[in-house]
Amino acid sequence: MEKGNIFLVVKDVISEVLPDVDSETVTIDKNLKSLGANSIDRTEIVMLSMERLGLKLPLVSFGGVENIEEMIDVLVNNT
Amino acid sequence: MQLVGIEMLNIFGGSAYLDVDQLASHRGLDKTRFDNLLMKEKSVALPYEDPVSLGVNAAKPIIDVLSDNEKDRIEMLITCTESSFDFGKSMSSYMHDYLKLNRNCRLFEIKSACYSGTTGLQMGINFVLSQVSPGAKALVIATDISRFLVAEGGGVLSEGWSFAEPSSGAGAAAMLVSDRPHIFQVDVGANGYYGFEVMDTCRPVADSEAGDSDLSLLSYLDCLEQSFSEYQKRVPGANYLESFSYLAFHTPFGGMIKGAHRTMMRKMLKAKADVVEADFEERVFPGLIYCQRVGNIMGATTALSLASTIENAVFDTPKRIGCFSYGSGCCSEFFSGVVTIEGQERMQRFGISNKLKQRYQLSMDEYDALIEESTNVRFGTRTVKLDTEFIGGARKSSNMPRLFLKEIKEYHRLYEWV
Repeated sequence: MEKGNIFLVVKDVISEVLPDVDSETVTIDKNLKSLGANSIDRTEIVMLSMERLGLKLPLVSFGGVENIEEMIDVLVNNT
Repeated sequence: MQLVGIEMLNIFGGSAYLDVDQLASHRGLDKTRFDNLLMKEKSVALPYEDPVSLGVNAAKPIIDVLSDNEKDRIEMLITCTESSFDFGKSMSSYMHDYLKLNRNCRLFEIKSACYSGTTGLQMGINFVLSQVSPGAKALVIATDISRFLVAEGGGVLSEGWSFAEPSSGAGAAAMLVSDRPHIFQVDVGANGYYGFEVMDTCRPVADSEAGDSDLSLLSYLDCLEQSFSEYQKRVPGANYLESFSYLAFHTPFGGMIKGAHRTMMRKMLKAKADVVEADFEERVFPGLIYCQRVGNIMGATTALSLASTIENAVFDTPKRIGCFSYGSGCCSEFFSGVVTIEGQERMQRFGISNKLKQRYQLSMDEYDALIEESTNVRFGTRTVKLDTEFIGGARKSSNMPRLFLKEIKEYHRLYEWV
């Protein structure tokens, strides 16, 4: 799947996990912490995104990910 | 089949505690969504408390109710810790002395981050099952503290400090393992273990911690799923929802196990949010009650959650508890056992909840002074006499006899009963 389409899936998940965040402010270069996500929220976003994309990767593959784009890169490399 | 499990279990949650919300404000931590981390209080080690004093204080009430004959059958004393103050000498030797145990006893120490208590428990179980010394008992003492000395420099250590400080506590769990499993009868062979190399959280320097909290959470979740899958392979028909009346998790902080439980319910059962929430309250929350008061006591946390479950859940009929232990680095295990109403009554005799209530509440000023004062007992301290007047209220807060560190003399630790 293309990076842009994966971003749309991830963006939807972010709105679901962080309902107070204005989706307009969610851009690919943003860091989830800066959107107000704590560690549990960040993990939830990764898991739900994988679920929507039908992916099953070890969660530790996402260790060290700094922003939404890096998270999407891990997803893209495994689709 | 040979019966085996925990004959007695006791917790010592320290002598002083801190309100975690106050600490987070004091440190200026980002409190956005802080409430859903489900943290309340944490025990704090006073300068005159160390892993030995905490461990002895957890084990002493158990030893006191044993007959001399029973006491003499303790043939292994395993200390489980990541907070030792000596690379060679096992802390079991000190505890063995202050508990006045039989000298025909194996004394050793196990390190495996927060998985250490479960490692020790499993070693005790296997010792009993081996029947090489029929009737023998193992005393497993998981004991850990976190001292937050102000680390020089910035970077990883400072970052580690900020995330770990509100959740890290101090305390110990003592488990007497034998062929009389009054408290927790282990399901023999029902063990799923899973480990691999990962650099999540660690103690690469004395007296402090470092790590990546996000990676640790991700690894914890991977391990929970994998160790449970292995458990299922060994216990045909095991089901995450139906096989266990309660679940006791290693609990770094409440929000983490809530997230972990939600993940399992969704993955294993495709459960909806309202079902997950109700199930958390019913099956997981009883184990969280003490964890929210003591904080993460590392190697002892799984036992703390198990003790909390046994004391706070309902056992009108015998119930099976599923336990999950995770230690950074990493290794993990999912295992289970059965608890009865008699077991619950026996546990309640130790009055763990009351003892937690008797702890002294630290003000933020006292806490800051305590961090400063703790530099006197940092790793490698050769000689020091502890100031017994320091936060003296904490020494008087309980009517239970407690062991405190009195002096370090040429590296040798000397303790006193107060």
